[in-house]
Amino acid sequence: MVQMIHSRNHVILQPAYVLHSTPYRDTSVLLEVFTPDHGRIGLVVRGVRSAKSRLRGVLQPFRPLLISWYSKGDLGTLTTAEVNVEEGGGAHLGGRALMSGFYLNELLLRLLHRHDPHPASFHSYDIALRKLVLGDDVTLQQALRIFEKELLQDIGYGLVLDRDVITGEPVAAEGLYRYHLEKGPERMECVTAAHIANTLGIVLHGHTLLGLAHNELSQGDVLQEAKKLLRKLLAVHLGRQPLRSRELYNEMQAIMSTQ
Amino acid sequence: MIDDSLIGQLITALRCLPGVGPKSAQRMAFHLLERDRTGARRLAQTLSLAADNVGHCVSCRTLTELETCRLCANNGRDRTCVCVVEMPGDVQAIERSGTYKGLYFVLMGHLSPLDGIGPREIGLDQLIVNLDTGIIKEVILATNSTVEGEATAHYIAEMVRKRGIKPTRIAHGMPLGGELEYVDGGTLQYAFAGRKEV
Repeated sequence: MVQMIHSRNHVILQPAYVLHSTPYRDTSVLLEVFTPDHGRIGLVVRGVRSAKSRLRGVLQPFRPLLISWYSKGDLGTLTTAEVNVEEGGGAHLGGRALMSGFYLNELLLRLLHRHDPHPASFHSYDIALRKLVLGDDVTLQQALRIFEKELLQDIGYGLVLDRDVITGEPVAAEGLYRYHLEKGPERMECVTAAHIANTLGIVLHGHTLLGLAHNELSQGDVLQEAKKLLRKLLAVHLGRQPLRSRELYNEMQAIMSTQ
Repeated sequence: MIDDSLIGQLITALRCLPGVGPKSAQRMAFHLLERDRTGARRLAQTLSLAADNVGHCVSCRTLTELETCRLCANNGRDRTCVCVVEMPGDVQAIERSGTYKGLYFVLMGHLSPLDGIGPREIGLDQLIVNLDTGIIKEVILATNSTVEGEATAHYIAEMVRKRGIKPTRIAHGMPLGGELEYVDGGTLQYAFAGRKEV
C-alpha cells in the first residue's frame, strides 16, 4: 500500500492557495491550486459541494491552506485540506481588495505553467495578499506592482532597473529614461515635450526605476509610472486575450466615479 | 454497443439529470414502463410544456412561465425592498423561512472574472432599470458567502449606493444550535466582526 501511494506521488501537507475552482459533475470541483514546491496544479476534489462537506468553507481562494494530494497524470486528487492556522488563517478580503485578489490569481493562471515549481512567486503572492488585507489604496497599488515585478522576474523576464542598458551607467533619480521593453532603460538626453511625445516606448523617471528596484513605491507619480511600465511588460507575455479581472475592476471604477 | 431501442434511448435521455448514472437511469426507465405508465405520460407532458414555456421573469429574472412571476405580481409584497440572490433555489429557501416580505432579484449566477462572467451576464442592467424606477429604498444582498458571492455583493452595493439607495448585506455567523468549538475560523471571524450589543 505504501509502495503504491509513493508510486502515485503522494504529497503531504503542502502550503497552498486556491486560485480558481470550477464545478465538476454533481458534487465535485476542479481546483487550480498554487503551491511553492509543485507550482500551479490541477486537483479534483470529490464530494465537496455536498451539503455535509466540511471542506466547502476551507477551499476558498485567498486562504492559506495545507493540502495533501496524490497524482498520477496531469490532474491530482485532493485527499485532505485544512486552513494553515500558523499562517494566521488569512483575513477576509473585501471589496476592492477582492477584485485585486482575482487579478493576482488571473496573472498566475495565465503566466505559470502547471507543475513548474515557483517558490519565489509563492512567497511574493503570500506577501501581496497580506498587504491587500490592509485595504488602503496606496498599499494595494504597491502590493500589485511589487508582485507583478517579482512574478516577471521569477518566470525569467527580470527587469533591468538600476542601470542604463546602453551606457551601463547607474540610473540617476532625476534623469528621464525611455524603457525598451526587451532590454531596459535608456537615458534620454534631449527632453522637450515634443521629444517625449515622439518617443516610442515608455518614458519614465529615474526615481520610478529606483523605487521599483527597491520596492519603495511611495509617491503617487511613481506608482502611476510603475503601473504603466508593468502593464506594458506584462502585455508582452499575456498575449492578446484581455485580463478579465482588470475589465471587471475598471467597470467597477466606472460605476464608482460616474453620477 | 449502443442500444438504439426506445428503452435504450429513454435510459440515455434520463442520464441528463444530475446525479443519475447508467444504473439509476435504467432503474427509473423500468419503473416508469413497468409500474407507472400514467406517471410516465404526465412526466413527459409536463416536461415538454415546461421546457417550451418556462422563461425568465421580466422583473426579477427568476424562472417562470408567466411574463411577471407570481411573487413580483403579488400586491401584498413590500415593493420598496429588493433581495438579491444567486439562484431561484435561494428564493425558495428564503420564502420557506417566512421572514421576508419584499421582492427578489435573481442573478442566475455570480460575478466570476476568471470565468468571464461579468455584470451583464448576471443581468445587472435589468437591476439598474428596476432601481431607477425610484420605488426601491433598500437592496438586501443575499449572495453566497464565497469569494465570488462577496465580490458580487460588493459590486452591486456600489451600484446601489450611487443611486442613493441603501445596500445591506445579510449577516454571517454562528449557525443556530451550533457549538462554538466546532465552527470554522472563517465563520468565527465574521461572527466577531458582526457582533452586536445585547
